[in-house]
Amino acid sequence: MSGKSVLSPAAEDFALKRPGGAEVSRPVPARTWTLGSTLLKVLALALFAFLLFGPLANLVLWSVAERWYAPFKLPVTYGLRYWEVVFRPTGDAMSSLATSVAIACLTVVVALAVSVPAGYALARLRLPWRTGLMILFLLPQAFPSVAIYINVARVFYGLGLTGTIPGVVLVHAAHGLVYSVWIAAAAFAAVDKDLELAARNIGASPLRTFFTITLPLAAPGIMASAIFVFLESLDEFTGTFFVGVPQVTTLPLLLYNASMGGNYQIASITALILLVPSVLFMIVIERFLKADVLSKVGQ
Amino acid sequence: MRKALYAAGFAALLFTSTASAQTLNVATAGDQNMVDYIKDYLGPLFEKQHPGVKVVAVGTGPGDGGSQKIYEKLEAQNKAGAPADFDVVVIHQKAAGTMVQENLLKKYRDSLPTGKLVTRDTATNSLGTDVSGYVMPMFHSQTAIAYNPDLIKEVPNSYVELRDWVKKNPKQFGYNGIKGGMSGVAFVTGWVAAFSGDAAKLEKGPYDAAEKAAWDKALADLKEFNKNVVITPGNAGTLDMLNRGEIAMGPVWVDMFYTWKAEGKLPPNMRLKLVSPGMPGQPMYYAVPAKTAQDKLATEFIALATSPEVQADGIVKRFNWYPGIDAKNLEGKLDQAVWNQLFADIPPDALSANGKSFPIGPYFNDILESYEKKVAN
Amino acid sequence: MARPSFFGLLLIAPALAMIGVLFLYPLGFSLASAFTGPDGGASLASFQKAYELYSTDILFTLFIVIVSTLLTALFSIAIAGILTLSETPWLVAVLRSLYRWPLFIPFIVAAQCMRTFLAKNGLMNNSLVALGVIEPIQATSLLDWRGIIITFVWKQVPFVTLMLAGAMASIDRATIEAGRNLGASRLRVLIELVLPQVAQTLLVGLVLSFVTMLSVLSVPMMVAGSQPTMLTVDMAFRINSYGDYATANALGVISYVIAGTVAWIYLRHNVRREAQV
Repeated sequence: MSGKSVLSPAAEDFALKRPGGAEVSRPVPARTWTLGSTLLKVLALALFAFLLFGPLANLVLWSVAERWYAPFKLPVTYGLRYWEVVFRPTGDAMSSLATSVAIACLTVVVALAVSVPAGYALARLRLPWRTGLMILFLLPQAFPSVAIYINVARVFYGLGLTGTIPGVVLVHAAHGLVYSVWIAAAAFAAVDKDLELAARNIGASPLRTFFTITLPLAAPGIMASAIFVFLESLDEFTGTFFVGVPQVTTLPLLLYNASMGGNYQIASITALILLVPSVLFMIVIERFLKADVLSKVGQ
Repeated sequence: MRKALYAAGFAALLFTSTASAQTLNVATAGDQNMVDYIKDYLGPLFEKQHPGVKVVAVGTGPGDGGSQKIYEKLEAQNKAGAPADFDVVVIHQKAAGTMVQENLLKKYRDSLPTGKLVTRDTATNSLGTDVSGYVMPMFHSQTAIAYNPDLIKEVPNSYVELRDWVKKNPKQFGYNGIKGGMSGVAFVTGWVAAFSGDAAKLEKGPYDAAEKAAWDKALADLKEFNKNVVITPGNAGTLDMLNRGEIAMGPVWVDMFYTWKAEGKLPPNMRLKLVSPGMPGQPMYYAVPAKTAQDKLATEFIALATSPEVQADGIVKRFNWYPGIDAKNLEGKLDQAVWNQLFADIPPDALSANGKSFPIGPYFNDILESYEKKVAN
Repeated sequence: MARPSFFGLLLIAPALAMIGVLFLYPLGFSLASAFTGPDGGASLASFQKAYELYSTDILFTLFIVIVSTLLTALFSIAIAGILTLSETPWLVAVLRSLYRWPLFIPFIVAAQCMRTFLAKNGLMNNSLVALGVIEPIQATSLLDWRGIIITFVWKQVPFVTLMLAGAMASIDRATIEAGRNLGASRLRVLIELVLPQVAQTLLVGLVLSFVTMLSVLSVPMMVAGSQPTMLTVDMAFRINSYGDYATANALGVISYVIAGTVAWIYLRHNVRREAQV
């Protein structure tokens, strides 16, 4: 019983779910149980890594394929031609990248401008219906968003906001508001009240206390929410699909058009471009999102 | 920090805004190749002839959905009394008919220098609606069944043979249903025309709402047929699956077929077959919105686009479409080898025998809705 | 710090306004549009049309989302369980660094990856053939409902695992030790001791995943063909090809109901738990 690792159910599940009915199993010699179980773990990890990174490796492969048709298993001609196509100054990708980044920056500005006061109010001030308000900000996460976006686009049509950058920024900011308000509230709640009281005791005005004590201490959490909103905006597809088309083309829309048009090389390269900020964020997030901020989220 | 972000965002915003001396906004429905045509070829050509003018092309998506977006924009701006966002639009037949009926387009062809170069029916009749004077055909395209001769020795010659072949060879045929591209739509309307008896009535009219009942058997057959096929994501999806060897046969646009082959996205051995009693083709139309500020530039743009030189070099040679203007006007502008290449798999007589047009508007809508109700559901 | 709450309301007003205009108003609009008949009065005509055209797709959507959620739960529990209970340090370390990767990959990139990975001649099948696991003739394309489920599970497992692992790490280790001391296998400890304590977090993660999967447009559009397909694709098709807001909103209301049912089940479970405590 001691050798049976918790790993086996997972490995079995992977094996059972394999399409084509093939099972990945290896016979385990009874005597060298430890070696066998280690081997099993290594293999299961390898399988796990393949399933995790295989799709991503596929992207890289497509980005360097110049000509690739059946029945060849690998590209017929390799080359960087499509990188040149994507990155040429007059190309779509550069302008889409600029549009995406511009929209993301503006979204962060709008989202922070709105959520920092809201977060402070929720964390520090006595608000009527506080729980209700917190739930209200969570509500957009509870409703499937395609129907919402369709109708936002309808409303924007009448206002002339479809196909414009401000329209898309508004949609992205509303989408990001859910996270930024909650994280801002948590960040402010994590600031030690005693420090504020001390400042007030010495004679600082409330406003000065806010700008010199509270905000700097909450800054890491707010930075984290800013980065999160930035990433969400950069990767946002569905809202832009309804509100931004046809004049506003962000990178995800370019990816979608290229993919549906069968241009997998351009789609893969665009996907790789989109991956860079996400991966960077993942590596950096440890630094900003401290445990005490996370534990206050939702209070 | 926030100030820096704001400055960066503002700068990027300025960078992306398209304010320049004069801008010509062209909106085109259809696949990416339509947008590329303007971005890479026609736009720069026009800009060279008109210094100080910038051509901005936007694609609104493939199939009738793309044209629908253009229609909605023009309709909304018309209602609001605002000038149109787009100066030139490139649209499918169904949308063109609707736009003419709602007076959203400007009549320009009579005063166009190249207006007389097209005498085909399609320049005046768009799926039953009279559009003469409002549109110029950009190109004529045709759907056909693409197949891999290495895998398929006996190619079906008609819809009936195709149906039997698919029964014996399940999951080797693929098309995109009616979503995501017109090649699938063409296959469906061709099927209904082939199996419901009255193909001529569907094409020419008159519209009879009771006709729908006659399609029940054909649609039931199609539902059966669908059980043995692969449904692909769109025009490019079908081509892609043909490329990857996942299907051996499927309806495609002839121009996309040749373009993909040239770019190494299709195996060089693939061939085309135009099955009887016929498969639809369609023109796409250049049109000018009624309330645009740049109508003079717009008509000049269209005149350039429909000139024999551009039709020969751009439409036929680069993008493998059949020309929008009459073929005889291209004599001398195109070398014979390129012309023959276009008719390699589908010779001109097969084209004129089996190349049909889509059903008239009301029938077209009925077929699509019946498909969704009876075949897809 | 007693402040007049009026000032607080003022601070929170812009955020509330944004939510109101960009979420609540369109939500109301969609409900109104779905329940209005062609003549302007209240009617269920749009629902009837939606059912006539898309009943298969409604069932398809339900099937996919439920199966994906269950599979996500299964894999997340397995991985989080390994991270908490495994006695092989190197395994835990490697697993911890591996599992998070799909977390920040946007759905559209995941869809693009899967489209070429899961195809009949895609990387997965080719690798399996190269390794001799399957014959070339057995290679099938997974670009249908299976592809959608695989993509969703691939994306959501890291998210739910992250929440679960955090919750499992914060429970009292003494309970685990006690169970192990009494001779229970790790699997039994996981199912009977750890899981009940983290059930709350698991349910939150699953409900969020469920709603997320109902909101995704890119994956079903890019990974699978168009018949049958998920409701989001049908809504987009109705709007883009016909401008048919009534039917699209009817489909939207149906998806609210599906999400609402799950949320209600979760709340009921919550209330029952509170009542038991």
